[in-house]
Amino acid sequence: MLEIRNLRVSYGNDMVLNGLNLDLADGETLAIIGESGTGKTTLGMSIMRLAEARVQGSIHFNGVDLFALSDRQMRGIRWNRIAMLFQNVNNVLNPVHTVLDQVSEPMVEHKLLNKDEALVKAGELLARFGLSQARFSAYPHQLSGGEQQRVLLAMALANDPELLILDEPLSSLDVTTREELGNLLGEIDGHRAKLVITHDLDTASRLSEKIAVLYGGRIIESGLTQEVLRRPRHPYTRALIRAYPNMTTVKDLQGIKGRMVRPVSGCPFHPRCTQAIEECSRNMPPLTQSQGRWVACHRGGIVTLLSVINLSKSFDSLKAVDSVSLRIESGETLALVGQSGSGKTTLAKTIMGLHSTYDGTISLESEKVANRSKDFYKRVQMIFQNPGESLSHRLSILELVVEPLEVQRIGTAEQRREKAIQTIGEVELPRTEAFLNTYPHHLSGGELQRVAIARALILDPDLLIADEPTAFLDASVGAKILKLLLNLQEHRGLSMLYITHDIAAARKVSDRIAVMLEGRIIEEGPSNEIVTVPKQDYTKRLLGSASALHDLSK
Amino acid sequence: MPSKHSLTTYGIAFFTILALNFFLPRMMPGNPLAAIYGDEALVAMTADLKAHLVARFALDQSLWQQFGAYIASLFRGDLGWSYSFNAPVLKVILGALPWTLLVVGTSLILSTILGIVLGIESGWRRGSKTDRAMLAGLMSLNGFPDFFLGLVLLIVFGVLLGIAPLSGALTPYSGLSGLPLLFDIFKHMALPVAALTIAHLAGGYLLTRNTMITVLKAPFMTTARAKGLSQKTIKYHHAGRNSMLPVLTMTGIWLGRVVTGALFVELVFAYPGVGQLTYQALLSRDYPVIQGVFLMVAVAVLVVNFAVDLLYPKLDPRVSHAH
Amino acid sequence: MHISLKKEIKQSHTGQAGIIILLVVIALAVFAPFLSSYNPVQQSTTSLLAPSLTHWLGTNQVGQDIWSQLLYGGRTSLLVGFGVGILSLILSILFGVSSALIGGIYDKIVMRIVDAFIVIPMIVVVILVAAYIRPDLSVLILLLAVLSWQGGARMIRSQALSLKEMGHVNASRTFGASRFYLAWRHIVPDLGIILLVEFIYSVRRAVFIEAGLAFLGIGDPMLVSWGMMMRDAMKFSYLNVWQWWLVPAGVALSLTIVGLTFISHAAESVLDPRLRGEAVA
Repeated sequence: MLEIRNLRVSYGNDMVLNGLNLDLADGETLAIIGESGTGKTTLGMSIMRLAEARVQGSIHFNGVDLFALSDRQMRGIRWNRIAMLFQNVNNVLNPVHTVLDQVSEPMVEHKLLNKDEALVKAGELLARFGLSQARFSAYPHQLSGGEQQRVLLAMALANDPELLILDEPLSSLDVTTREELGNLLGEIDGHRAKLVITHDLDTASRLSEKIAVLYGGRIIESGLTQEVLRRPRHPYTRALIRAYPNMTTVKDLQGIKGRMVRPVSGCPFHPRCTQAIEECSRNMPPLTQSQGRWVACHRGGIVTLLSVINLSKSFDSLKAVDSVSLRIESGETLALVGQSGSGKTTLAKTIMGLHSTYDGTISLESEKVANRSKDFYKRVQMIFQNPGESLSHRLSILELVVEPLEVQRIGTAEQRREKAIQTIGEVELPRTEAFLNTYPHHLSGGELQRVAIARALILDPDLLIADEPTAFLDASVGAKILKLLLNLQEHRGLSMLYITHDIAAARKVSDRIAVMLEGRIIEEGPSNEIVTVPKQDYTKRLLGSASALHDLSK
Repeated sequence: MPSKHSLTTYGIAFFTILALNFFLPRMMPGNPLAAIYGDEALVAMTADLKAHLVARFALDQSLWQQFGAYIASLFRGDLGWSYSFNAPVLKVILGALPWTLLVVGTSLILSTILGIVLGIESGWRRGSKTDRAMLAGLMSLNGFPDFFLGLVLLIVFGVLLGIAPLSGALTPYSGLSGLPLLFDIFKHMALPVAALTIAHLAGGYLLTRNTMITVLKAPFMTTARAKGLSQKTIKYHHAGRNSMLPVLTMTGIWLGRVVTGALFVELVFAYPGVGQLTYQALLSRDYPVIQGVFLMVAVAVLVVNFAVDLLYPKLDPRVSHAH
Repeated sequence: MHISLKKEIKQSHTGQAGIIILLVVIALAVFAPFLSSYNPVQQSTTSLLAPSLTHWLGTNQVGQDIWSQLLYGGRTSLLVGFGVGILSLILSILFGVSSALIGGIYDKIVMRIVDAFIVIPMIVVVILVAAYIRPDLSVLILLLAVLSWQGGARMIRSQALSLKEMGHVNASRTFGASRFYLAWRHIVPDLGIILLVEFIYSVRRAVFIEAGLAFLGIGDPMLVSWGMMMRDAMKFSYLNVWQWWLVPAGVALSLTIVGLTFISHAAESVLDPRLRGEAVA
């Protein structure tokens, strides 16, 4: 019923919507997700032709081109066929007229009913949405926030529009009102096509079947709400979900590097995207469909970085790794959880090429990896459990960190030093001469692990394999290392294979968890699902015996 | 408290007016009777009349007793005696009152309504050529005092073009009645009303326009447009209804200005209202008349102010539970 | 709110126009002796002359030079206007700020009185008093000032109240500053444009009332006033002397008031940021 094609809206020189395409079918509820400044309110206003901006493109409503209508024709459509439920801020209702009058007004003005009939119908609507009769002749400022929202809803539906646009319908409400209103919209009004505009993922998941994510004036991903939220395919959508505090996901919050700037050539997200390529800064990616999902990304969405298929490694008769398949996507953390002897370290070492013979395939971005060339090591790096062992005590900190560059013959001595200093700063270590020239035995465990991370990062790898990185560290020190890793992921888009026996830690730092037992992956999925609804017994046992703060009084 | 200003405020104001009226003549040097009536009047009075008046106003007694007598006389409706008209002041004033009410009332209503409408239209088109022209034009007009405006109108329409009468409220000795009479009255009050209306238009206009500019930015205006209402409805029923409130509050205060304006205008057009009366009293130093007029006007303004205060909550529901 | 006066003046055309008009009037009044060669109150036998080279605007009914009267009349209007403006402003600041800072019973009493006076129609009272006293220049200024400070006091008080709560004022209090110090150093200077607006209101009203009183014939008969000129000219409206007698006086008066109106409009726009962006003539 609603077809938006190539919508461009600009206020002066500021192009807020930049080639937006959208489809809404009869009876569907679509949520548009956008943070502030993305132009979502402008979108709603543009559909109603209320935006005081320069508008280009087309919006077709049930076949009618809305931009081709005269002012009077458009007025006829407003409220009768497309209505808007405004965000309940102060003064969104006229303070000098009663609420009953305001609800009945559109019916009278559009000549659907006469004054008396309209008042009666308005009363019915208000009652249906839970406003008590005594409040009908009240003025807006005399009502509570929840009551005002009901009035707004009744008023919006007064003329029985075909399409209802809702602008942040639940955001300013308290908990109980939020639930009630959510139910009202779902039960009483489930049949009407709705466009829900919001920044709030909770609202979107409560009210909509389909979702479209708005960034930089364009839709960058759209699909079924539950699927998109569970498995986002655009880097921005994933980052948004990671930044949104909610009771479902368990990973620690992460932000998005940089900030939104306009205008930008090419893909609007590319300055903040951690998997951007050259193409991204040149051309705008089109919104393309694949497997029921629409994504606007030159790389087709989040790329799969590492793909392991049927990997097996045996030592004589012992099958340490038994036909393991897994994948790690760009910018995500996969936690490999298992007790000692499960084969997780062997798996890591095999991937790194520290075991030369194995069965199965390992692919890096769809390219099979046969032998480990220097290029491979530029992209995949590893840090080990015991930094004391993995760092040579003969070399100074600077020399340690610079070593990979020397091996790969990258840059001049001066450039290598520069890069080393920069990376050391990134892992939050001092960049003083004194520190650079000191030796490992002078440093604490935490500092050593940071040096190891710096060394691993200096080649700017895409994937970091971390094998029990906090095993030898105190909890408080380990916590900081984990936070560092999360920050690095936020800024560099680093993917991680996080190997641990500790599922409690795993769930705080990983997007997905794979449980390994006796060389096989027995369960794998999003971390919040593994942790809350495990399927396998072993997983349940792992969870049961994971660290908890037990209360004996219970 | 039902009104914006408390009853105490009005009480104090009323008392101040009374006190002023009372004490002013009595503080003048010399014979109190001379102060009240003026030297000229005294000359014209007989000794009997003087004695009678002294007794009536207890002028030979203490100040407090005099004040008491004064208040008492007010309650009796006795505003004193006008020597120049040789009649009770009250009667003289009441004779002239209807004409002033006609002119002042009409002007007040016209200038308020016109001011509000122009203010709405101007605010609606803020920044456009029409708005800027109206703003500059009305602000300039506002600078012209009512008496100058009246004189200009009189000269242009009365003297030069000869289409308006030069004085009076009626054509003397015409013996008209019915429709021709109404037309005659209208012909005579046209210019005075025009002068007063134009001079006081700007106040309401500016206030309404300013309020309109603010109101148009309010969220409920977006709601109104989204509802697909007609331009007229949005402009008047929604924006206008909110914008006219400040003007209505000011009506009471502006009444005082319009009344004084009437004083000047009546004098210019020789219109037989209270203003003309006052002017003649000023010339002939007929103090009782001046005082009587002062009292009536001041009290009238207070009463109107009070009434507006009481009425306001009915128009602006946000105020009804305040204070 | 930081307002740069220079910048505001540059932006507002209305304000500029008003200032220019006012400056012209002031200049004409100040340089009156140099711009006219007659003593305005000097009567002569050549009455009701039409404009000529010797008498630019002709003479009135007692042979006084109208052009001189026009210029000196400006002095009266400006003197009264600014005199009342300054005096009234001082009183407004005094009562407004002290009410805000002292509060309590003092505040209540002062505000009751202020409200009472606001409600009383000022012009009517002035006419009454003038009828009795026949004020001369200084008495008139005093009288008008006493009756017109109330509106400003209310406005200043509410501004002072909100200023009182501001961070930097509170900080000064923690240094042990007295209320007088706070008023002098922080509150009055921060009142800024409001003082200008109130001042201009008072001036405008005073100019109007002085002219009105003179027109009614109850002003100071010794003073040359535009109001009095109009009053005298009115008596001869059947002749065509009004063109060069009545009209100049009336226009001069109106222009002065209009200039003041423009300035106050511009100042008000500055005060209320919602009204900014006034691209006015």
